[in-house]
Amino acid sequence: MDVKGAKAVGECCLLGLELPGMTPAVNPNVVGLGIGRKVTRGIVAESIALRVFVKKKSHPLLLRPEEVIPQEIEGVPTDVHETGEVRIRWPFPPVFQRRLRPARPGVSVGHYAVSAGTFGLVVRGREGRNLILSNNHVLANENRGAVGDPILQPGDWDGGKRGRDEIGALQDFVPLAADATNTVDAAVAEPYDARDLSPDVIGIGRVHGVAEAALGMAVTKAGRTTRITQGQVTDVDVTLKVGYTDGFRVFTDQFLIQGRGGFSGAGDSGSAILDGEHRVVGLLFGGSPFVTVANRFANVASALQVTPV
Amino acid sequence: MPSIGEVKRRHEAKLLGVKGVVGVGVGLRDGRECITVLVRERHPALQREIPADLEGYPTYVEVVGDVRARR
Repeated sequence: MDVKGAKAVGECCLLGLELPGMTPAVNPNVVGLGIGRKVTRGIVAESIALRVFVKKKSHPLLLRPEEVIPQEIEGVPTDVHETGEVRIRWPFPPVFQRRLRPARPGVSVGHYAVSAGTFGLVVRGREGRNLILSNNHVLANENRGAVGDPILQPGDWDGGKRGRDEIGALQDFVPLAADATNTVDAAVAEPYDARDLSPDVIGIGRVHGVAEAALGMAVTKAGRTTRITQGQVTDVDVTLKVGYTDGFRVFTDQFLIQGRGGFSGAGDSGSAILDGEHRVVGLLFGGSPFVTVANRFANVASALQVTPV
Repeated sequence: MPSIGEVKRRHEAKLLGVKGVVGVGVGLRDGRECITVLVRERHPALQREIPADLEGYPTYVEVVGDVRARR
C-alpha cells in the first residue's frame, strides 16, 4: 500500500473519516494527519512518514492503550507531532474596539442597549469628578436610558457584556427634543472606579482646553470605527435635520467636517473633534457618506456643566 | 451690508421648506464664503427654487446624502 493509502486508513481509524470496508474510530487527541519526513530529536530523516498531529504528545506508557498511536500504519511509519489544538484565526480587533483599562478617549463605549459609540473625552463634572463624555444616543439610548443604567466598555457590538465589561453608569444627559430644535447630542457617564479612566486620547494624547471651530480649520479625531482621521471644517452655523431611530431631530449651531476618504463612520459617535493644537472644538454625533456633523463644544460644556480634563 | 450669518438666518426657514433640503449653513467653497444649502440628492426643481445668491451672498448646493446619528 502506498503512503496515500496508509493515510486514508489513518484518517479512518484516528479521525473517524469514512473509508469503505473499515469502521471509523476517533482518537480525541489527534487533530490531523499528513505526509512528511520523520523527525527524530530534531533531525529530519530521509524516510517518508505518516505525520500524526496531536493536541498533546505523551509517552505511550502514560496513555490508555486505545489512545496510543500505532508505530506504523499499513507498513508506513508514523511520526507523532504536537501542534496543539488548531483554531481559525479570528481577526484581532483594533485597540479602539477592545476592552481597555484604564479606558482612554477613542475606544468603544455604549449603553447596554446600544450597539456602540465612542468614548469622546474625560471631562470634569459639577461635583469635580471625572466623567466619560459621549452622545445621548450612545450613553442614554436616545432618551430611553435612565440615570444609573450600566455603560459598557467596549460596547455591545464589540462584545461588551453586562457585569464583566461595565465601566460605570449613566450620570446625566441632555434630552433630545422632537418638537423643538436641539444644539447638542450629549451625555456623561460616571466610572465605578475613577482609576478606570485615563484622559490621554488614543494616538493623540492630552487635550489642551477648548476652542471654536472656524471655516477651513484642520481637525482630527479618534473614534471606535474609523480610528484617527483628519478633516477640515467646511461649514459653520449649520441648521440640519439628522435621522435617529424614530425620526428626524433638528439641530442648530452645528458644524460640518469633510475629510479625504471620509472623516467618520457608524460607531464614531461621541468622538471629540480637536484642532491642530489639540484643543477641543466639537462633539461628533452624526454624518452621511459625504459629511460629518458635530456639536460646538462650547454648547456641550454649558449644557452638561463640564470642562475637559 | 448685513453679515452672512444674518442673511442665512433670514432665509433659513424658507430654504428648509424646499423639498429635499435637509440643512443650511455658512460654508467655505473654492475660497469663498457662501450660504450652503445641504440637500439629500440633486433634482431639477432645486435649481429653480434656490436662488444663486441671497442679498449679495452666493449660495452653494451641497449634496450630503442621508445624515444620521452615527451610533
